[in-house]
Amino acid sequence: MSAVFQQYASDLAQQQFGISWLADARDGGLSAWKEHAWPTRKTEAWRYTSLLPVENEQWQLSESSAETLSQEALSELIDMDAYRLVFINGQLCEPLSSELPAEVVTFADANSEQQAVIKAHLSKVANQQKHLFAALNSGLLHQGVLLHVGKNQRLDKPVYLVYVNDKADAQLANTRVLITLETGAEAQVIEHYFTSTDQDRGWVNALTECSIAENASLHHYRVNLESEQSLHTGGIHATLAANARLNGFTLANGSRLKRIDYHIEHLGSGSDLQLNGIYLPRHQQKVDYHTCVEHAVPHCTTSEVFRGVIADSARAVFNGRIHIHQDAQKTLAEMSNRNLLTSDQAQINTKPELEIYADDVRCAHGATVSQLNDEALFYMTSRGISEAEARVMLSFGFVIELVEGVAIEALQHWLRPRIAHMFGQSDQLTRHIIHE
Amino acid sequence: MSEQVEELIKKEYAAGFHTDIESETLPPGLNEDVIRFISAKKNEPEWMLEWRLKAYKVWQSMEEPSWAHVHYPEIDFQAVSYFSAPKSLEDRPKSLDEVDPDLIETYNKLGIPLHEQEMLAGVAVDAVFDSVSVVTTFREKLEEAGVIFCPISEAVHRFPELVKKYLGTVVPQRDNYYAALNSAVFSDGSFVYIPKGVRCPMELSTYFRINQMNTGQFERTLIIADEGSHVSYLEGCTAPQRDENQLHAAVVELIALDNAEIKYSTVQNWYPGDENGKGGIYNFVTKRGICHQRAKISWTQVETGSAVTWKYPSCILKGDHSIGEFYSVALTNNYQQADTGTKMIHLGKNTKSTIISKGISAGRSQNAYRGLVRMGSSASGARNFTQCDSLLIGDRCGAHTFPYIESAHPSAIVEHEATTSKVSDDQMFLCQQRGLDPEKAVSMIVNGFCREVFKQLPMEFAVEAGKLLEVSLEGSVG
Repeated sequence: MSAVFQQYASDLAQQQFGISWLADARDGGLSAWKEHAWPTRKTEAWRYTSLLPVENEQWQLSESSAETLSQEALSELIDMDAYRLVFINGQLCEPLSSELPAEVVTFADANSEQQAVIKAHLSKVANQQKHLFAALNSGLLHQGVLLHVGKNQRLDKPVYLVYVNDKADAQLANTRVLITLETGAEAQVIEHYFTSTDQDRGWVNALTECSIAENASLHHYRVNLESEQSLHTGGIHATLAANARLNGFTLANGSRLKRIDYHIEHLGSGSDLQLNGIYLPRHQQKVDYHTCVEHAVPHCTTSEVFRGVIADSARAVFNGRIHIHQDAQKTLAEMSNRNLLTSDQAQINTKPELEIYADDVRCAHGATVSQLNDEALFYMTSRGISEAEARVMLSFGFVIELVEGVAIEALQHWLRPRIAHMFGQSDQLTRHIIHE
Repeated sequence: MSEQVEELIKKEYAAGFHTDIESETLPPGLNEDVIRFISAKKNEPEWMLEWRLKAYKVWQSMEEPSWAHVHYPEIDFQAVSYFSAPKSLEDRPKSLDEVDPDLIETYNKLGIPLHEQEMLAGVAVDAVFDSVSVVTTFREKLEEAGVIFCPISEAVHRFPELVKKYLGTVVPQRDNYYAALNSAVFSDGSFVYIPKGVRCPMELSTYFRINQMNTGQFERTLIIADEGSHVSYLEGCTAPQRDENQLHAAVVELIALDNAEIKYSTVQNWYPGDENGKGGIYNFVTKRGICHQRAKISWTQVETGSAVTWKYPSCILKGDHSIGEFYSVALTNNYQQADTGTKMIHLGKNTKSTIISKGISAGRSQNAYRGLVRMGSSASGARNFTQCDSLLIGDRCGAHTFPYIESAHPSAIVEHEATTSKVSDDQMFLCQQRGLDPEKAVSMIVNGFCREVFKQLPMEFAVEAGKLLEVSLEGSVG
């Protein structure tokens, strides 16, 4: 079964006639894809997440589609001043996209200089031998976005990348982002994945590579709010040079299959990573976050916080790994993963891992799983708040701390009501937390 | 076939024992005939042989696990001898003077009494007869209470019903590769049965300590605590144990029926190999207990020996309100590797488990904690607390943590925390400024780090365990 799918995907890749100068990258990805053993339940990285939804369908690469979006879908866009690029079913939708600065370009429009940057960095950050779907992404590569910020430049507005899907059949959208920040550069990027219809059964395979040079700083936000029937496999891979900073934030609901991998490598001394994540699966949804932080050099810091509220019959997986190499002395690394289960059928599998080969380090991780605190609930109900409302408020309070760390105010404002409505669908239940 | 393994298997006792091949030792290799031979040697009934053969078939179909964070040359299971008769008295050293002085020095550091030293070193003198009389007194006392405590090979004959009923119920033959191997070829081990409502009148440790010689490399232990009973059992001892068998694969099964309590303490100090990582025992152990209603199983372990340790004492908390505990100190030095931890499987309502794991790595060793806490969908009100701390001494060692947490019930609460750090300079400064040399200071700090676990050990072993860490850490500072 699995081998059939692997062959099938290779055939799909061969049909792909994308940009000719990306042929090498495609070949590289495809050969890596073919060498991968198909994951089974015994494969450690896929222990809790089944790939059956991928195997069981005949995927077609999605073709270009609508020139615009429905009013409802448009209202889902984050209202802010940003350089916006909208992709519908994996294809760029120009009418909805804004004027782009020189720093942002699609692979198709890249000039020779930009092509050189792409060739220099593409597939260099993500390890295709280790990451199955990164290899597939390169194999199917036909389109992508480059954000390249020059030395000591600062992008004046955030880059807002929107990926909308609305396919009711088995269509695969393969998306790619490459971010290269030169020395001292600064940028903010938002990746927003959503589906404009609940019927969507499409699959998005997204890969983001970030190469962050010395003293550069990147704020990266990734929001995945897709329909329950959709599939998403995504990877965010970053390398940090000396004194570079990466501030990451991610929010996801669940779906039939949702797997997001963060892989960050500290390659230069003094680099700093802050990574916060929230996952809120409900109904029958599944969500799987795998994060891996490699400390290869001394004097780097990592702080990682993931929180999840798992409702109904949903299942969540969190696997956080921090690997401290032999010479990475004076590392400070902390990871915390806290989970709330709000129903009898909800399930969480979490595994915070530490692998440490240096002695002069301070590392800690913590993980908790529980339900809402009875005493807190009692306190609130004794103050005249209904139990249902108290539950919404406490769940919201459990995760909102991480949203408050988001540097873009417009994004914070957009996130708050959406998170609140995931806990309580009626305004009555969310009145205290949205309209303050 | 790795030459290293072969060499080690053939290697003479470093402690000065003779390894003359006796007529009753089987040549290396494993097949059905070997199992029949072992079974026949022990005069086992037919059903026991069947059981072993079934395990052997299962073992053949299994693959050696490779997921643990340890590396060692491939083991050739056909190069191992699966049966060797106990040494005869003539082969033993005649007095302590014939024993390796290094070994004696270690015994003295650990504060082991003279007659016990002789026992441990396998000296064939009067001391043995002395202890036989001690054993007899103990045995009378135990029999009075109705406690059965005998070698498992004897239990197979005397209490076949009990053995049949419980053997392999907690660790089935097909549980894992090494458990299957053990089930097929197990040499001997202990069998304990505590009748209903009986509180075992003594810690079985004392008895065991002078009676645990020659259990062989494939030890099998079965402890059954009937309703409302209580027993405390200590395995191993702090003294360094040398053994010509490089591969050890033991299985321990604990059964705590309603309201029973079993406390199982282990001090493991098998030969860890020399400072260059040469030699040493491979210790692949499967230990598991099952708790019925309101029962309690408590594992305490101090692991300082073995070149490679692969060991996860676990509790299946099947009955409502049952309790599982795991307290562990694992120390690795030089080239030792340990992948150890526990599994707490919560099935019953209001079950509780506590995991305290302290890992210390020094030299070039690798020390991993691997644990599983699973809250089943019926485990309402279950509670777990896990704390695993690692201490690193030296910049060439590794400390790793792989905790698996699986929860399928909202009212189950799981807390896990882990920290990794080195011996702090401040603490070292304080100790040295008070006149302690660095080595003593480190040992003091390490002892403090492990205190939570040591206080779970029976008193005399807690004292010895402290000294044991000190001895094991020698040469790791400076």
